[in-house]
Amino acid sequence: MPTVDIDPDELRELTGHGDKSDAELRDDLFSLGLEYEGETDEGHFELEFAPDRLDRLSVEGIARSLRYDYGDDRGVYVPSTNDAEWTIEVEDTPPERPYVTGAIVRGLDLDESSLDSLIQLQEKLHATMGRKRAKGAIGVHDLTMLKGGAANVTAAPPQDEAVDDLARPDADATGEGADADSATKTITYTGIDPDSEEFVPLEGDRAMTPAEVTDAHHIGVEYADLVAEMDRVPAIYDSIGLFSFPPVINGKRTEVDTGSRDLFIEMTGTDQWTIDHMLSIVCYALDARGGTVEEVAVEYADGAPGEYAGQSFLRPDLGTKTKTVAHDRIEAILGVDLDKREIGDLADRAGLDASETDTDGVYEFEIPPYRVDVLHPIDVIDDLGRAYGFNTLEPRYPDVSTVGGRHDRSKLERATRDVLVGLGFEDLLNFYMISEEANYERLQVTPGSDVVGGGDPVTIQEPYSEDYTMLRSWALPSVMLVLENNTHRSYPQDLAEIGLAAEVDESTNTNVAEHRTVAAAVARHDASYEDAKTRLQAIAANFDTELATPPIDHPTFIDGRTAAVELDGEAVGVVGEIDPAVLVEHDLEVPVAGFEFRLDALE
Amino acid sequence: MRLPHAQVALLEAADADDARRIDALADEAGLKPETATGAAFALEDEGLLALTEETVESATLTDEGRAYLDEGLPEVRFYRGAIDAGADDEPAEMGPVIGAAGLDGAAVDIALSNFARKGYGQIDSGAVSADPEADPDSDPEAAALAALADGESVADEDVLAQLDRRGLVEISETTVRSARLTDDGVTTLMAGVEVAETVGQVTPELLTSGEWRDVEFAEYNVEADADEVRTGKTHVLRRQAENVTDTLVGMGFQEMQGPTVDADFWINDCLFMPQDHPARNHWDRFALEQPAQIDELPAALVERVESAHREGVGPDGEGYHSPWDLDFAKALALRGHTTSLTARHLSGEALGELEPPQRFFSIEKVYRNDTLDATHLLEFFQIEGWVMAEELSVRDLMGTFTEFYEQFGISDIQFKPHYNPYTEPSFELFGRHPETGELIEIGNSGIFRPEMLEPLGVDCDVMAWGLALERLLMLVTGAEDIRDVHGTLVDLDFLRSEEVLY
Repeated sequence: MPTVDIDPDELRELTGHGDKSDAELRDDLFSLGLEYEGETDEGHFELEFAPDRLDRLSVEGIARSLRYDYGDDRGVYVPSTNDAEWTIEVEDTPPERPYVTGAIVRGLDLDESSLDSLIQLQEKLHATMGRKRAKGAIGVHDLTMLKGGAANVTAAPPQDEAVDDLARPDADATGEGADADSATKTITYTGIDPDSEEFVPLEGDRAMTPAEVTDAHHIGVEYADLVAEMDRVPAIYDSIGLFSFPPVINGKRTEVDTGSRDLFIEMTGTDQWTIDHMLSIVCYALDARGGTVEEVAVEYADGAPGEYAGQSFLRPDLGTKTKTVAHDRIEAILGVDLDKREIGDLADRAGLDASETDTDGVYEFEIPPYRVDVLHPIDVIDDLGRAYGFNTLEPRYPDVSTVGGRHDRSKLERATRDVLVGLGFEDLLNFYMISEEANYERLQVTPGSDVVGGGDPVTIQEPYSEDYTMLRSWALPSVMLVLENNTHRSYPQDLAEIGLAAEVDESTNTNVAEHRTVAAAVARHDASYEDAKTRLQAIAANFDTELATPPIDHPTFIDGRTAAVELDGEAVGVVGEIDPAVLVEHDLEVPVAGFEFRLDALE
Repeated sequence: MRLPHAQVALLEAADADDARRIDALADEAGLKPETATGAAFALEDEGLLALTEETVESATLTDEGRAYLDEGLPEVRFYRGAIDAGADDEPAEMGPVIGAAGLDGAAVDIALSNFARKGYGQIDSGAVSADPEADPDSDPEAAALAALADGESVADEDVLAQLDRRGLVEISETTVRSARLTDDGVTTLMAGVEVAETVGQVTPELLTSGEWRDVEFAEYNVEADADEVRTGKTHVLRRQAENVTDTLVGMGFQEMQGPTVDADFWINDCLFMPQDHPARNHWDRFALEQPAQIDELPAALVERVESAHREGVGPDGEGYHSPWDLDFAKALALRGHTTSLTARHLSGEALGELEPPQRFFSIEKVYRNDTLDATHLLEFFQIEGWVMAEELSVRDLMGTFTEFYEQFGISDIQFKPHYNPYTEPSFELFGRHPETGELIEIGNSGIFRPEMLEPLGVDCDVMAWGLALERLLMLVTGAEDIRDVHGTLVDLDFLRSEEVLY
């Protein structure tokens, strides 16, 4: 599980609860679903976070949740925003990464820890919503280092239409054409030839082209895959020149430090909704640090790749969305009776606003933009349940009457196991994954041959280790492994297993034939064919099936001491004395006789 | 009179005038001492023998005593060394004498103190003078050791006490019983006794001939250990699975089954897991190399599932802002959970359309490309359970789990609100370890999301939970390394000796 580090002192400061002890804070965090994992070297809490609440990836968001929990804050809060001065013009972007969004936050007074918190939030958002920067990548810049040229606002198409298009799925966006027009300073998001331009990257000491960065810069190398397939790579310019190479690295010129008061935040990605919501989460965090959010106009040129060519809008989009939930459904899911006032109160404490609709018993809940996890009214009900306190609910056994029963296959498997155990076999339970070497080679079986165990292997793309590269095609190899690992234990060793075997079979829908197989081995100083056959006969007789054992050859067994297992006239397995070469291969010094057959043959 | 062989032999060996020790009688009668003792008690009960008891001290050599028997007592060796050094004439230096006697360590002190005590000579300021008159060959302690070693007794109690003090013998008390014929015994003997036949084994002949009525059955030592016999036994983890199955069947759950190798569609897409979810990346799952894809998926279902991913369900629903690709959904993998079986059942693919109410479960293996360690396996058994009903609340879910875990001695279940992509509300389950009292995670649960249920064609509520069987076993048995239990590394001695669960 991913974790987030937070400074408990900051948490006390941001929640306004300076008197809370570490232990109290840990309890409060646990009730939010943030489990305390340990302490970092700096004495910060390491918290495991549930991957739905991405607004809690930083101390600011966690403090906000706690304030709701404590009742200090109630209902939806939306930061106010100032009008846009800056515009991001989008043209000739790489089609693989067509989208951009941005915001400005002014008046910050960042210290080391708040800067660390911002960097952590950025990293955690990259790891989660940003899908390791592939879907969305964040760049934070010192605004004072940027110089905007005059914005070319005349090229912008009618604004209202664009706003409506982008408003999905939220009800209202904040964009207004007039605001976009007033933006006068311009930044450009575009695509460039990776060898064409130079800039000094962060943690670099010389000007490099994007190609050189992905080739030679330690961060560039790490993210090189993200742009490897692009003819033109993403680039962001101001009137001075190239200052960012998303999603790989920013330029050094705009590097943020504790002296930075005004920030320019841009995000690029493959999905506009995703980067817009990542941006909302960052803006809420910086608002909590006392910054003032200022809108940025985003203008897609007519020919820009992606869904928004010719459209423009204002970001961040801090508009709320709504979910409609029926009173009955809330009561049904939580299993308790509630009145309207209680529901309003629970909503407030969850950081939501509830209002009654024209339909009796139906509420509309307003959801703030950082709640990217709320997809359906059921998520609102979950929020209300958390605010109510799930652990205060009294468990009750459901009044639902059904008849239980086992599956036929599992009944047969259990009955067969009982017979095996009655015959004195030690029941084994082995892994169904095995190596090709153990499954075939060490038993002298050729993959794809027409013998028991010779079916084509079902193989795994990226095995954990070379011991587990395929599903076993039969179980005798597993039994042989157990014998091999127990040569120091006393004999006789009579071992049996009922379990899965699988092989490639193109006649099935999954192209894999799976069946349950019965494998057994008798290992003792005088084990012979007779020992295997006598037990096999007992099993067949117990299930009222006719056993015949016509001689066959099988590479695992000694020629002349090997037979097919035919049950009711159908060849379903093999019985015989294991070839000494196989025994020696498994470090065995006693003879072994064994058999294997399909479980379903006993039906 | 007919008596068992041992009693007859003992009676004949016994004397009417002198009480004789039973071990001597046993020897004479050719009986084992314990058999003779048993027979003597039986004859006493019959009034034919009178028994007397006395406590006798016997001494046995300790290891040290045995060593001196071979090497000679240290003081004797010292004396001989002194004589060799001419100490019978004039005092000799002690060091060379000790060396010549071959003494070292504690033996030196032992030699010196006993040398003086026994009058073998004197030691003065490091010089030894030996008494020429002393006779080490007739040392009474050495003689006593030799006598004891030969099984003889030592009459001189002072010598014995001295040897005991020196730790050369161990003195123990034993009860010695003696027997004398009573008058009745004499009379009976005169009248004649016959040996009653004793038999070792009940035989078919004995039963059919009726002879069993006349025979005595030889007594067995019923307390002695018998030969070991090895049973076959159901594997302990399988046993645990059977116990869980019994419990769930008893609670009204029906068992599911389905493919181990399945399309990602059934494993993940049907569970409203976005295709770019980190858990669907290659490092968590075992994607198949061969074969790579399923042939067919139900087209209408695929359409509904894709739509739920893209658009969500219901008037206010939202989908994921993630790519959705049919080829990705058709890719085959080893199932990472048995919720794939649940999806197949809920969709009607497995058993046809299901009408509420329903309860289903499975205990089958799942596969995770995770770290292999004491508590994690690459393949393990997942207990999967779900309940379908017109309306279910989180209280029903809590009640079901409380009831289930109680069956395994796990009480005080706590529900921690949690996040799963396919359930809401969701809870991690914590319970108290029955032995340690520790609060540990024991499962994951929730009510399936509408985005999962609607495409599957389910229009009522379904709650579900999952738990690793191995985790439950570790809780119930206290097993610490699950690799010792499940897999080919298992130690047969563990399987043979592990307690049977019930």
